Amino acid sequence: MNRSSKIILIIILIFCLPLSGCYDAADVDEEVYAMAIGIDKGVDNAVRVTFQYPTYKDSPSSGGMKGGGGGQTETGEVDGTLVSTVEAPSLLEGVQMLNAAGNRQISLTHAKMLVFSEEFAREGVGKDVETVARYREARETMRVIVCKGKAQDFIMENKSLIGSNLAKGIELSFVQSQNTGYFPDVFFANFYSNMLTPYGQPYAIYAGVNDFQHLPENTQQDNQSPAPIEKDIQPGETPRKGGSKEELFGTAIFDGEKMVGSLTQNETRFFLLGIGKFKWGSFTTGDKNKPGYAYVLDVITARKPQVSAHFENGVPVIDLKVDLDADIAAIQSRIDYEKVENIKELESYTKDCFQEGMKKTIERTQKEYNCDIFHFGKKIAGNFKTIQELENYNWLKHYQEAKINVDVTVNIRRNGFFFGTRPFFSTRSGNQKEGNNQ
Amino acid sequence: MIKEGHFGSAEAFCLMLVMLTTRVFYSSPLALIKDLGTAAWYGTLLSCAVSLIFFGLLYLLMKRFPNQDLYQVYETVTGKIISKLLILIFSFYFLYYAAINVREFTAILKAYSMPYTPVSILIFVFLLVVIAMTYVGLEGIVRVSYIFFYFIMCGLAMLLLLAIPAYDFNNLYPLFGYGLKETIKIGVLRSSAYDEIVILAIIINSIYGLKTFKRVGFYSLILAGLIISVTLACILAAFEYTAASEQLSGLFQLSRIIYYSRFFQRIEAIFLFIWVFASVITVSMAFYLAVSSYCRAFKIKNHRPLLFPFAALAFMVAFIPRNIGEVFEIHVHFLRQDSFSIMYLIPLLVLIFALILGKKGGKAIE
Repeated sequence: MNRSSKIILIIILIFCLPLSGCYDAADVDEEVYAMAIGIDKGVDNAVRVTFQYPTYKDSPSSGGMKGGGGGQTETGEVDGTLVSTVEAPSLLEGVQMLNAAGNRQISLTHAKMLVFSEEFAREGVGKDVETVARYREARETMRVIVCKGKAQDFIMENKSLIGSNLAKGIELSFVQSQNTGYFPDVFFANFYSNMLTPYGQPYAIYAGVNDFQHLPENTQQDNQSPAPIEKDIQPGETPRKGGSKEELFGTAIFDGEKMVGSLTQNETRFFLLGIGKFKWGSFTTGDKNKPGYAYVLDVITARKPQVSAHFENGVPVIDLKVDLDADIAAIQSRIDYEKVENIKELESYTKDCFQEGMKKTIERTQKEYNCDIFHFGKKIAGNFKTIQELENYNWLKHYQEAKINVDVTVNIRRNGFFFGTRPFFSTRSGNQKEGNNQ
Repeated sequence: MIKEGHFGSAEAFCLMLVMLTTRVFYSSPLALIKDLGTAAWYGTLLSCAVSLIFFGLLYLLMKRFPNQDLYQVYETVTGKIISKLLILIFSFYFLYYAAINVREFTAILKAYSMPYTPVSILIFVFLLVVIAMTYVGLEGIVRVSYIFFYFIMCGLAMLLLLAIPAYDFNNLYPLFGYGLKETIKIGVLRSSAYDEIVILAIIINSIYGLKTFKRVGFYSLILAGLIISVTLACILAAFEYTAASEQLSGLFQLSRIIYYSRFFQRIEAIFLFIWVFASVITVSMAFYLAVSSYCRAFKIKNHRPLLFPFAALAFMVAFIPRNIGEVFEIHVHFLRQDSFSIMYLIPLLVLIFALILGKKGGKAIE
């Protein structure tokens, strides 16, 4: 090959390489990137799909949210985004129908959450989860949510009240799972693989829209402050006012592709402790030595929970060992529990509370739902030689029969800024001290 | 004969390791996990062990005929006509291997990254790069593989390490997968997945003879087995045998689930880079061997005029499968599960003939 032929060949090669990408080139400005996908049960067709995507306008306030916090219901403009709903035979056809009605192509590559309405989830999400799992655009790292009420209404309330970046706001809202433990952080990849596995059952984030009507008004003048209690609250029913109406609060439980129940926010914390996904959270517990008072502990998991499983006379037996570290965040009674002679009592009482809570949560998943969302089946699988044996046994069917032993260890490590607690001093002090150690 | 040049054991080792491990980027994990379930990670070690045995037999053959490459051994043992036929079988096999690998590459590329680009454009562009690599010759391909080896291996290690939070090694239970019998059967059959090691016997004169041949062959086989095994274990640990036996490319899926924070995610671009490098090297080498084997059979001294005709042939062969199902279930299945009938059995038969006929080569040159 002579010199000129070589040069021509090199030029052809250089030009050919980038050209192959042109077929799939998509200008950023030609697409809109859906941030949230909602799926409701259809009325005249299979599904009602809702997408939320940015309007690409300068700021949220100029993007339709005039007057702050509102929105234009007819066009679906919400906080610098558009919320569009379409009824279609399938999710992807829904995308196409909205594309035809707009001037940009909706892309799912940046979708951050997939929201199913509870009604739809109870009938089965398999058909649409399959689509998302197979289709190249949707990402495995988006979160899966089941909301009380309509997914469409939930997404309408998906606003960025702090900061102007909604995408950032959505991602940070899932991080609250680590800071509270009130809901699990469920990625689509895990949700989908949990639907297929014989080891356990899928679960999703349980959510709701708070209409701010759950904060009770005090009608009695001389009402005393009630004793502190850890209430079980449904998503959307937190007694609060102000802030985002969206609420991620609890766990939705699935049997295969169908939702069968849920765990409350407190049960979710015990569930996350059991699977080693609880990062940290504050627990308020009534002080048994001084009724009406409570102490607050900051709890973290000391190490990954230890799970072992075996069979005893054909009955599966599971031993779950959870090690927790706790810091005293508050002792309202001002009883000096931090003292060496008192701390054991506090640890023992806290251990009992956690052990009881975990046992009840596990029992509920066994007796009420027969859904192993803890995935104890992974340890049970170690008792079978082959996949055929495991699948024929069908652990999911036998989960309710399992005897599950829970052993929690709590070590209170630190006391916050204090070491020792003194009583409050007042006109009534003297011989009789307030909040003194008995 | 084509002047192929010489290179050291490090370069040969890098070439063989890239060729042997490229399949983890493709659909090989899918096929293995589908067949062996949770036992896939050690099933491949079994395939590797069987390949080591075959390689040992190949070593015995090459030791019997020092200073001769595999094709020269064929000629010495079977005579000119049969050896020509055997070399042509190898030539066509390598052409088929290159073409099907390109097709598998484009099938996965279309599924994940370039859905609207026509397959013909992707294959055409890929083959142009392969032609350029092959034009330079064996030494050029080997030296390119030596350079990119570090990128490929570092990229692979990085992917596997970054996905650690997704792993749960309890997913490797039940330990015997679909049964020990099935694992042994598939493990033995899939020794074909390591049969590229025979290439070393073809290029033995470029790697300074038997000693390098033996060392490079054994080490690259063992390391490739370990790399593939670890990758399979990681895919299983991340996705369980159920979801992993659905995914077109388990490793690509693994790269997609890496998520540390909103700043550190979507790193699958790394996968695409190392995947393309590894594929180009593997296909170029196979394509070069197809052309050079043909040249050897017909005593053609210059392989370059044959590049475009062979590329046209490869282009056509790549279009034999009508759909992705045929690519995986027929053609890739043949390459990874049945090709030992060509790559291992022919040299083995030649060894048996040599033993029966008492044929031996000259003395080794030190």
